Amino acid sequence: MLSFLYARQSGLDDPVRLRRAESTRRVLSLKLNHNRDVDRIHGNGINTLDIEVIDGRYMLSGGSDGVIVIYDLENNSKKPQYTCKAICTVGRSSRHVHKFSVETVQWYPHDTGMFVSSSFDKTMKVWDTETLKPAEEFQFDGNVYCHHMSPVARRHSLVAVGTKDPKVQLCDLKSGSRIHILQGHRGEILSVRWSPRYDHILATASTDSRVRIWDVRRASGSLFTLDQHNGDKSKVSSEAVNTAHNGRVNGLCFTADGLHLLSTGTDDRMRLWNSGTGENTLVNYGKVVNESRKGLKFTVSRGCSPEFVFVPCGSSVAVYGLHSGELITMLRGHYNNVDCCEFHPDYQELYSGGKDCNILAWVPVLRQPGIEDDETNSKRGGTQAAINPAFEDAWSSDED
Amino acid sequence: MNRKRALIADTFCLTKRRRCAADSVTGDSQDGAADIRSSLKYLVTLFSRKLFNDSLPPVVLKHQLYSLHNDKTAVDKQVVRSDCFRPTYKYSSWQSVPDHFIITVTHSEALVFSLPRQNELRENGELLMFQLGFDSEAFALVFAEDYRAKVLQGEAGRGTLGTVEKFLAKLIPSCSDLSFNKEKMLKEFLFTDSEITQLVKSGVLTVRDAGSWWLSIPNSGKFIKYFIKGRKAVLGMVKKSKYGEILKTELEGRRTTSQVKFQMKYHIHDIIGAELVECIQTTSGTLLRHVDGNVN
Repeated sequence: MLSFLYARQSGLDDPVRLRRAESTRRVLSLKLNHNRDVDRIHGNGINTLDIEVIDGRYMLSGGSDGVIVIYDLENNSKKPQYTCKAICTVGRSSRHVHKFSVETVQWYPHDTGMFVSSSFDKTMKVWDTETLKPAEEFQFDGNVYCHHMSPVARRHSLVAVGTKDPKVQLCDLKSGSRIHILQGHRGEILSVRWSPRYDHILATASTDSRVRIWDVRRASGSLFTLDQHNGDKSKVSSEAVNTAHNGRVNGLCFTADGLHLLSTGTDDRMRLWNSGTGENTLVNYGKVVNESRKGLKFTVSRGCSPEFVFVPCGSSVAVYGLHSGELITMLRGHYNNVDCCEFHPDYQELYSGGKDCNILAWVPVLRQPGIEDDETNSKRGGTQAAINPAFEDAWSSDED
Repeated sequence: MNRKRALIADTFCLTKRRRCAADSVTGDSQDGAADIRSSLKYLVTLFSRKLFNDSLPPVVLKHQLYSLHNDKTAVDKQVVRSDCFRPTYKYSSWQSVPDHFIITVTHSEALVFSLPRQNELRENGELLMFQLGFDSEAFALVFAEDYRAKVLQGEAGRGTLGTVEKFLAKLIPSCSDLSFNKEKMLKEFLFTDSEITQLVKSGVLTVRDAGSWWLSIPNSGKFIKYFIKGRKAVLGMVKKSKYGEILKTELEGRRTTSQVKFQMKYHIHDIIGAELVECIQTTSGTLLRHVDGNVN
């Protein structure tokens, strides 16, 4: 670490290098910390989490009971022991609460004045954070599995919605219209994701085993379908040609730079795709246990090198190296299935929520100081060796 | 997870890497293929030839290699067709880049593209891959010379010998497809319909769809039947053990039931590689634990 600091100071290295190296070290040392806790409000499983992008301070969570909670993640008390408090909730007593399970929540990408939630009660509601009342409500014909707003869009404010209907619907927040439909899938849409690189590229995953990439500016169909065999039709039986997975595709995640797309499917596989060409990079992650009938929410780290993927696998979160495909570690701590996880890029923390109604915070372990350390060391600036308490002068007084 | 030692990023072990970088990086690309070849040869020795009266070439499954090598992606690179393998890696400024990568520098990142790798084993025609049919992910690997020898041995004296020889001559040097459709057979390989029927009869091709055929191993039906039964029996042995787990060495030493026709080690590599059991490193060796939700 000192060599990195020196190299940065003297100009031998790019400043980014130290940041990346330290972020990677922090992610590799993620552990449950007894000092950090998240308020337990949900009475039923937690389906979705979202941390706002601007400050990284507020986190939204949506539960199977239809309740939506906002937490403050910042530690303003001067003590290390901190519980992330729930600032406000849309509870069962609210008039506007969702009737059934909330599947996806997302903050408005540009400020925290607004957030959007979609639920199995066939509605998607756009909430005003101040008053906690819906400013807009969109009705659909089938259960809404997922929705996503583009994090980089400035020219449009479209929300892509995936429902039981094979048509992907785009709802416009500015005008309230929902006439734009993307047709092409033949099964329920389990996951939709906008690209973080271009504001017109959308990826959708469906139960018909296909992942399609769309350009929403085009009038015709999808740009391309992701093919797990890269066009090598000889490898598969004829029904499985041109599919992304051998089962339902239920999770999508772009990497932070938008160049790669990850997809998970019920065939227990996770695949990494080149998002520009649609090519399967054939990185083999092994068996990524996936039994979810709805969408799976997983996430990729940001600012590390190499990047890591955090996937909920049963009752633990599996951490894989993004390009190497090796399983780095399993984060165990939940009592029941984990449904969602979210990475905080500034502090390299991971928040995961599951059916046991807990949100766990995985915090990087701080660097351990030297072996002889105790409180006296830190008071003296840490440069002198600590005195064994038996030899400490506890009897002479200063007046001598 | 109780870790006595913390995970450390590669970058922090930089000095040690630099010292042995010279040996490891250049050695890697040649060693990779040699490693895979030697693992394949080892797995071939585990195959019981006598069981099939020597009519079948030794068959190894691709996922058995995963139990011998840690890096699945590297194994895939050696065995799967190289032209569909073009990952783009984003390298940061300090990592040493192996020689076979080319670098394009964009505004903020250096994107590294790998050149189409020398996929020695399959491109050279040394290794053939087959889709077995009972699992869409289970691929069988056979050395090309063995395959040719056994097929011709099986065909000796039959009328279809000539056609089969012609097919093998076309197939082995360069082709790495798993299935063929009609146009390919007629136009590229210049076979007639009756010749295609002869090939299907001899067992070299199996029907896949109207107008397309899988490449297959003749007489492999018995192999698949014994394999599936044996796999189920071995998994049952793991499941019935106390706590659903058993040490690998102990399992190797167990007496096999009549269901298990292959060698125990062959099956063990198979179940570890296909991740049908969880592999846990303990102080007494490798422990295999039964995984719930496996209906195999």
